[in-house]
Amino acid sequence: MTRVRVTAPLASPRSPVAGGRSPLESREAAQDSEVGQVFVRSLIRSQLRLALVVAGGFLLILAAFPLILVVVPGLAETRIAGIPFGWLLLGAGMYPVIGLSAWLYVRTAARNEARYRDLAGEQ
Amino acid sequence: MNAGLAITAVAVVSLATAIIGFYGLRISRTTGDFYVASRTVRPWWNASAIGGEYLSAASFLGVAGLILLSGTDALWFPVGYTAGYLMLLLFVAAPLRRSGAYTIPDFTEARLSSRTVRRVTSVVVVMVGWLYIVPQLHGAALTIQISTGLPSWVGSVSVVVVVCLTVVAGGMRSITFVQAFQYWLKLTALAVPILFIIFVLAGNGAEPQSLPAVNPTDLAPAGLYQNVSLLVALLFGTLGLPHVLVRFYTNPDGHSARRTTLIVLGLLSVFYLFPTAYGLVARMYAPGLARSGQPDAMVLRLPGELVGGLPGDLLSALVVAGAFAAFLSTTSGLVVSLAGVISQDVLGGSVRGFRLAAVVSAVVPLGFAFMTGSLALAGSVGLVFAFTASTVCPVLLLGIWWRGLTDTGAIAGMLTGGLLCGGAMIVGSLSGAGLSGSGQTPAWLAQPAAWSVPAAFAVMVIVSRATAHRIPATMPRTMTRLHTPERPLATERGSGGQ
Repeated sequence: MTRVRVTAPLASPRSPVAGGRSPLESREAAQDSEVGQVFVRSLIRSQLRLALVVAGGFLLILAAFPLILVVVPGLAETRIAGIPFGWLLLGAGMYPVIGLSAWLYVRTAARNEARYRDLAGEQ
Repeated sequence: MNAGLAITAVAVVSLATAIIGFYGLRISRTTGDFYVASRTVRPWWNASAIGGEYLSAASFLGVAGLILLSGTDALWFPVGYTAGYLMLLLFVAAPLRRSGAYTIPDFTEARLSSRTVRRVTSVVVVMVGWLYIVPQLHGAALTIQISTGLPSWVGSVSVVVVVCLTVVAGGMRSITFVQAFQYWLKLTALAVPILFIIFVLAGNGAEPQSLPAVNPTDLAPAGLYQNVSLLVALLFGTLGLPHVLVRFYTNPDGHSARRTTLIVLGLLSVFYLFPTAYGLVARMYAPGLARSGQPDAMVLRLPGELVGGLPGDLLSALVVAGAFAAFLSTTSGLVVSLAGVISQDVLGGSVRGFRLAAVVSAVVPLGFAFMTGSLALAGSVGLVFAFTASTVCPVLLLGIWWRGLTDTGAIAGMLTGGLLCGGAMIVGSLSGAGLSGSGQTPAWLAQPAAWSVPAAFAVMVIVSRATAHRIPATMPRTMTRLHTPERPLATERGSGGQ
């Protein structure tokens, strides 16, 4: 086995390394125009809005779960298959909520990007 | 517990880690391989590796121990550890991948065009990494001492030696394979014993000794402030962890970074069901384990306590193997990311510099680990999350989403968050109380995140506003790069004339 001596790409840590040929440069050049920047800004706004809505919704549910247990007396101690409902809700019930939020976000974020691609492509 | 079986388990895991690491050596050729595995790792491999790296001593031993002690209050730990990844997906994953930087300091320098920001970020990242490695080494010391009866330093030293060997040999590429393997090992090592235990308990109709709601050491329930502050730390701390972030550079593009995170969330959700089950079973059938003074050892002791005999010994050995996989994978992930930062900033970024930096990154926390006593693992890791949430998190979030961030604002915010949170950690530990909220440390000192994180954000925004003339001219371009999707090359050529 021969070992290959390598040198670092430190000189330009900002330039992507893999593959050498990068789509970034022309991608940015195309979006430098004023119209391009408008599209970029609107993409960033819609992605941020989406992230905040999903995060907010998730936090509401996160807060609602223990609240339900406090508000409904006896619910936390009700047993399902020998396990108290409070444990099921907090110990297992949060994960599907997290997964669902994540899935919704990934789908919608990709859709936002597709819409941006269409707009920027028509420019 | 059978010492021979436990030593065999530790040896097998260490050997398997080393072998996969050395195998990776043959395909690690370029500096890119060493740092970020040339960004060619498939989402499933990458997701398993992220899971493997993230599930540390705190997740494997600490969470179950805390659930044993404080019941449903401690369920916020696994939920917070997982939900932290959701925040990372929402706010950081794709833009960070698209930034094209190797490390967090690379990112802040590129975004804010400032060498000083880079240096401050590097110092913060190295501190976070070292703080995070120390509990891993404490976990290893505890595990070796409980399972083999050997002196506890053997545990921490052997973790450092194995990690140095694999990282020095293969860099990020081999580490990716090692950690993917370790996720599945950890899951098996927790799942098989607890399922076996539940099966045995159900089979012989054992009567619970205690109710799930009863705290075995009469620990007072946590207040609202403590739970909220803990959640703030866990939700916002995850997205600033250096070893987690560096993983996102191994995705080919932003969209696959998101898909990877989605898979990671699934893997974490499945994993955390098991520490929760350990905690619940121990509260009902073996509450005595809480009174030994070492709740972190509960997962290691439970199979021997409830199954016993040769099956109990075999299951214990499996748990020990999984625990060691946890210490090794988290430590090696941290060492790789710290070595990336230290070698680029101090040693010129060569492969030799990376190797030297890796050894330094692993040996320094070993010294810390010897000097400090073992604390509740989940609690001390929770404090590291609070520190990250107060320093790295604001600069990442504002850097990605706010055009107005300046280098001065970023530095002021990171220093504020670091000093407030670090100060609270030092004062809190000097007042001699446990980190799980017990003892006489007031809650606002024991869990500083609820005020230190908003303070860091506020200072960062206010100082940036005041120094708005320092917004770098490259900012619009950087924001474009962070947020616009990569195009497939074919489209790129077709629309090249725009």
